[in-house]
Amino acid sequence: MSNYIVYLEQLEGLFAGWQEKYKLFVPQEKEGFYFLEEYSPEAEISFDYDLLYNPPKSFIFPPREDLIEFDLKTYKSKPLFTVSPQILFGLHPYDIKALNQLDQVMDMGSVDVNYRQRRDNTIIMGLTPLRVCPEAFWGSVNAFNVDFGFDLFWTKIGPATFLVEVGSKKGEELLFVNGRVDKATSAEREVARRKKQEIVSLVQKQNRLKYSWEEVPRVLEKSFDSFLWAEKSRKCLACGSCNLICPTCYCFDILDEVDDKLNKGKRYRTWDGCMLESFAKIAGGHNFRGRAAERYRHRYFRKGKYIYDMLGELGCVGCGRCVRVCTARIANPLEVFNVLWEALSYER
Amino acid sequence: MSKPKVAFFDFAGCEGDQLQIANLEERILDIASHVEIVSFREVKTGHSDDYEIAFVEGSITRYEDEERIKEIRSRAKILIALGACATIGGINCLKNFLNEQEYKNMVYGPWARYYSTYAARPVSAVVPVDGEIHGCPIDKEEFVEVVKSLLLGKKYTPPDYPVCVECKKAGNICQFERGRLCLGIITRAGCGGVCVSRGSVCWGCRGPAPSANLDAAREVMDEHGFSWVEVEDRLRLYLGHFLKFN
Ligand code: SF4
Ligand code: SF4
Ligand code: SF4
Ligand code: SF4
Repeated sequence: MSNYIVYLEQLEGLFAGWQEKYKLFVPQEKEGFYFLEEYSPEAEISFDYDLLYNPPKSFIFPPREDLIEFDLKTYKSKPLFTVSPQILFGLHPYDIKALNQLDQVMDMGSVDVNYRQRRDNTIIMGLTPLRVCPEAFWGSVNAFNVDFGFDLFWTKIGPATFLVEVGSKKGEELLFVNGRVDKATSAEREVARRKKQEIVSLVQKQNRLKYSWEEVPRVLEKSFDSFLWAEKSRKCLACGSCNLICPTCYCFDILDEVDDKLNKGKRYRTWDGCMLESFAKIAGGHNFRGRAAERYRHRYFRKGKYIYDMLGELGCVGCGRCVRVCTARIANPLEVFNVLWEALSYER
Repeated sequence: MSKPKVAFFDFAGCEGDQLQIANLEERILDIASHVEIVSFREVKTGHSDDYEIAFVEGSITRYEDEERIKEIRSRAKILIALGACATIGGINCLKNFLNEQEYKNMVYGPWARYYSTYAARPVSAVVPVDGEIHGCPIDKEEFVEVVKSLLLGKKYTPPDYPVCVECKKAGNICQFERGRLCLGIITRAGCGGVCVSRGSVCWGCRGPAPSANLDAAREVMDEHGFSWVEVEDRLRLYLGHFLKFN
């Protein structure tokens, strides 16, 4: 794919061009944390953000989404779609990898049409990270690089210079909204490669899985009866925060609501999470995972084994969000994967 | 189908929850068109003892209250506790941590000896309740939800998970990250995490979530550097009824 060069001063024009057709979201700072917020010319774009506080999935799989509308009198129903074209600018590779994973699970079996609609109306623009948040470990779980899942991918190679890789035809068209831009030279491509390498070294130095990520499923398999699950989950508040902010978690619940006149209603879905106590409760009150330790273990098995069995990659991209939001400080997959591995090494 | 007759009652509380309902303004007309309100002090005059659904606001704080609530219970097919004072005892339970003479003097001054009162408690501590609408004050939307469920013959079940869930869905920065004490980790959701979304913290007004792990929460708050006094003070504000020595 082609590589181009864009200068900082060209950005405002590009953004204005895109905004004619798309809602544009860019990383911005708020109280020391970073959020994808709608762009305006006054906005200060945080090219050097370390982590988006909330997972980008919420733009494609929102916390609450209406699915169908029904009539209580006629029993007729019709599907609801409320999508508008959007651009998510500045996603780091690990977050793009998470979206790629969502794409796969949502399309598996019968396609999730609501997700598909939003996804097809979303342009993804990646960005090479310039900083790493202290909780991140994406360097250890094969999530430091993506070669698909974006329309454009931006790397800052100088104080006011970006190298832009094209990932799709649509992306290239957007890059040319105000006319063609310069092609990158091989020297510039080399700078971009080094920038990516530097940041990967940094994250790997900071938090490291002590063995290869491909071993995680086997380590978990051997640790099903570990005492760690009970010990760690003792402090679990069953608050679900670690699920909800995870960019790869996709569970939802389906609910109905009716209007005040009791004529019409809506069926909607809303985020759910396996760490919530009643998540695995079924009719009759039986709970498949009634104990905190079972729920706690299940989450790590989802991240480290079940998704791997399905897709051949870990269900954790090492973004570090769960580490950050767990007030009990027990939700860190890297720590758990390392401790289990060490315990197994002692046993040998 | 004849319209179900509805009555509102209050015990120890501020009537803030009934005010929330009155605040529904014109929407109340849509909802009220499906029921007949026989008694509602904040909205209309008159009263009748013939009702099927009773909404009860306020805590039980006196022996005399017990007689009255039992009578309401015997008349109503469905009894719904309305608001924190009724569902969890709420801030009335603050007095349960003081000695009786002390709080009586504080409230009634020289007339203290003419009043009898005992430890404040939720309605469910005295009679069985069929439903609870939590919050201080209640969320009007949830009230509407409950009424609609009653009319449709569905059972309304409030969320059984902590406020953190709704707080995360709202996209808020966790107050613990700002060094503030928040009871969302143990409080029953259903309000949408409204206090955090508006810049405050969760005070626990919806009572403990069924899954709440109070011991773990105490440990977590301690690890975040909050003192025992700060934590217990905060817990007592709304959750007094659920603390050990009650
Ligand atoms: S499990 Fe935690 S670190 Fe892994 S992807 Fe989810 S939020 Fe990020
Ligand atoms: S592990 Fe942490 S974030 Fe996850 S449910 Fe338990 S307390 Fe909440
Ligand atoms: S601010 Fe409070 S309610 Fe929100 S996530 Fe943090 S602890 Fe939970
Ligand atoms: S956030 Fe907490 S204090 Fe505020 S309304 Fe909800 S439960 Fe009550």
